[in-house]
Amino acid sequence: MTKRLPPLLIGFFLAAGGLSVAAATADAEFRQGMAAVQANDFATGLHYLELAIADDPDNLRYASEYRQAVIRHKEFDRSIDFFGKLLVSHPASANLHLNYGFAYVDKIPVAGSITQVILANTALGEFIKAVDLQPSWITYYTRGASYLFWPKIFGKASLGVADLEKALSLQKNPAKPYYVRTYVALGDGYCKLDLLDRARATWQEGLRQFPNNAQLKDRLSLHGDELVKYIENGFDPNKRVDTDLRVIWSEGR
Amino acid sequence: MVRRTMIGFCAALGLCFVSLAPAALGGSGTNIRFEDITAKAGIHIRHHIRTYHGKNADVLRMFTGGGAAVAVGDYDNDGYEDLFITDSEEGQPNHLFRNNHDGTFTDVAQEAGVAGGNDASNIVSDALWFDYDNDGLLDLLVARFGTPILYHNEGHGRFRDVTAGSGLNKFGNTIAVITFDYDNDGYLDLLFGNYFQPANLLDLKDPHVLPNNLDGATNGGGVTLWHNMGNGTFEDVTLKAGLGKVTGWTLDVGHGDFNNDGLQDIYLACDFGTDHMFLNNGDGTFREVTEKATGWDTKKGMNVDVADYNNDGWLDIYVTNIYDDYMKECAMLWQNMGDGTFTDVSQEVGVCDTGWGWAAKFGDFDNDGWQDLFVVNGLRSAGPENYLTILLPMITKPGVDFSDVNSWPDIGNRSWSGFQKKRLFHNLGDGTFREIGADAGVDNDRDGRGIGVIDLDNDGLLDLVQTNADQSPIVYHNVSQNTGNWIELKLIGTKSNRDGIGARVKVQAGGLTQIRELDGGNGYAGESSRRIHFGIGSAPKIDRLQIHWPSGRLEQLDVPINRISYVEEGRGLLK
Repeated sequence: MTKRLPPLLIGFFLAAGGLSVAAATADAEFRQGMAAVQANDFATGLHYLELAIADDPDNLRYASEYRQAVIRHKEFDRSIDFFGKLLVSHPASANLHLNYGFAYVDKIPVAGSITQVILANTALGEFIKAVDLQPSWITYYTRGASYLFWPKIFGKASLGVADLEKALSLQKNPAKPYYVRTYVALGDGYCKLDLLDRARATWQEGLRQFPNNAQLKDRLSLHGDELVKYIENGFDPNKRVDTDLRVIWSEGR
Repeated sequence: MVRRTMIGFCAALGLCFVSLAPAALGGSGTNIRFEDITAKAGIHIRHHIRTYHGKNADVLRMFTGGGAAVAVGDYDNDGYEDLFITDSEEGQPNHLFRNNHDGTFTDVAQEAGVAGGNDASNIVSDALWFDYDNDGLLDLLVARFGTPILYHNEGHGRFRDVTAGSGLNKFGNTIAVITFDYDNDGYLDLLFGNYFQPANLLDLKDPHVLPNNLDGATNGGGVTLWHNMGNGTFEDVTLKAGLGKVTGWTLDVGHGDFNNDGLQDIYLACDFGTDHMFLNNGDGTFREVTEKATGWDTKKGMNVDVADYNNDGWLDIYVTNIYDDYMKECAMLWQNMGDGTFTDVSQEVGVCDTGWGWAAKFGDFDNDGWQDLFVVNGLRSAGPENYLTILLPMITKPGVDFSDVNSWPDIGNRSWSGFQKKRLFHNLGDGTFREIGADAGVDNDRDGRGIGVIDLDNDGLLDLVQTNADQSPIVYHNVSQNTGNWIELKLIGTKSNRDGIGARVKVQAGGLTQIRELDGGNGYAGESSRRIHFGIGSAPKIDRLQIHWPSGRLEQLDVPINRISYVEEGRGLLK
């Protein structure tokens, strides 16, 4: 005799089934989109990737791949517009806010210098919302790193260091390969605050955990003005910031 | 005669360093030194930025913080170059400094009749010497936010305001003016660069006069091209010439023969957006080639100077932008590739970081055969607080209307990119420059605007006059030692315009071939000497010298070194 399931559980399974159907649909759209992008059919590719994200707005991978395709096709305003509209119906999605912010960051290198400030500020606003909604390693790291791009005069470096220290505290064992980024960025933040000893200590600690990391080695090999110049060059708004999140699932899982 | 006078003057100053041991061509060391002789020269003035009244006074004053210009010219034909230096405040006089031949100057603006121009309706912004009627005397154009003034040189140190009959009656917020003969008819024409659209800032009716976009503004004043009709009048031919579509915030204009076809082309440096390049069609019109030549940019173009910095026979272009901790817009050194395209090599050659750049001028300051580059900078040096901290919230406010004066916070006593050290880039002769401002003694931190390159004592070494906004100008005497040999040419056109503007001189000496074109005021807020100057290093003579006059005439001359030579079109060297 089969015991009847309580209504709540039925609802759960139905929802789960519904979710899996939606996830399967999104996954199919994502694959179709990626295939088109790889075939240089950006119009079709971006269309299907947008469908996939709309069906699964929290999916970092879909959104990240979409933005990378946008960067290749220089459709920066399209992705900004897309994420902005999607957020209207999903205002509580931290990952969506994160990607909306990244969409602005992606446009920065092709913008004029004043527009760069406006884009960076708008991106920061989205990263702040992402932290508020979901305090996590990635939201703290992202917001913290973005603060460091602001020139000294605006006094945001200390906020960046605070976020990156928080991100560091959230790093758990076993260490994920992408955690090395926190050491790099936090050291840079200390550097911006003229705390060079703490910067070096942070990079050395990072190097103990990630002994092959070239970014840490480069920094530790430099001193004085050479080091400061190297760090400043890294924050040149005309250079594209790597907002590709592929590292999270390719290295970390 | 000229030589004797020169020696006398040198002796008076105790600064005879000419050619004791000529520098080797392309040497990498520097011996360039300047001495600030402003006070000794008797120049005791300061510039004043215009004061506005009413609600938006502070912001308008900030946006019009230029107007400190210098124009170099020998208005009295005594063989020594004189200076016209502007002011911008209502009621404040402009200055005509006559060269006394002994290292000092006397301000004769009042008696000459050229001190005026700053009245309740007009703000002086730039000045230009040019002989518009080919009578052999330099006339004076004073550009204004308002209407320009044209002074005719009557001789004997007197000028007459002939604006009313000249046709130069169009209101504009002109910030830069150059002269050249765009149609090679023998008369010098005028190109005005206009910053704001033609709104009267002193009686503002509509507050939407500021840039509508800070990286791509389209609501500026563009340019105005005035054709010299040859009878003392000028005609606005902007539209006819194909320049009417420029609506940017033109901050400087420059000319030169960029494609070596014998015609003068133009480059427009625009603030808040893209610069423009136009090539001369030879039929009174220009065609825009920006997209192919340089591409569009979003920078804050402030200056245009033109020179063949690498001695490859093609004129290159230098444009300053804003490079500071908070904004990294490299200056642009457009290297002429000789195929209609230009490549920005400023980073590669070491002339990218100029601070908040204003005027920049090429000149061979050690006579080694390679043109160096002096750049002035700095927007506003005032109190310890920084304007950026209150500007940022405005800029990043969603939906803010940048064009509305009311959107902008008052700057008060705050500084903004102030106290910046001037840059002197020494051309090392290997395609790169090294910054030597401090070693050369020119790293002052005033709010620089214009540069006049001048050989004020006829010693063959190029001196500098730097104007500064709301501050005193600086006169730098070139006291470099162990410099190279040199020549200076004063050109006199006959079929060409009398000033010889647009003439190209090609010199071969010491195994190096150099070109210069005589320009009519290139560089922000500064017109340099009308003499063409060449350093030739240790070369003992000129092997070959060719002049290509704007009329098309080609002349070859023998010119002695280490002296100033006068050359008349068709007659050659004057004795």
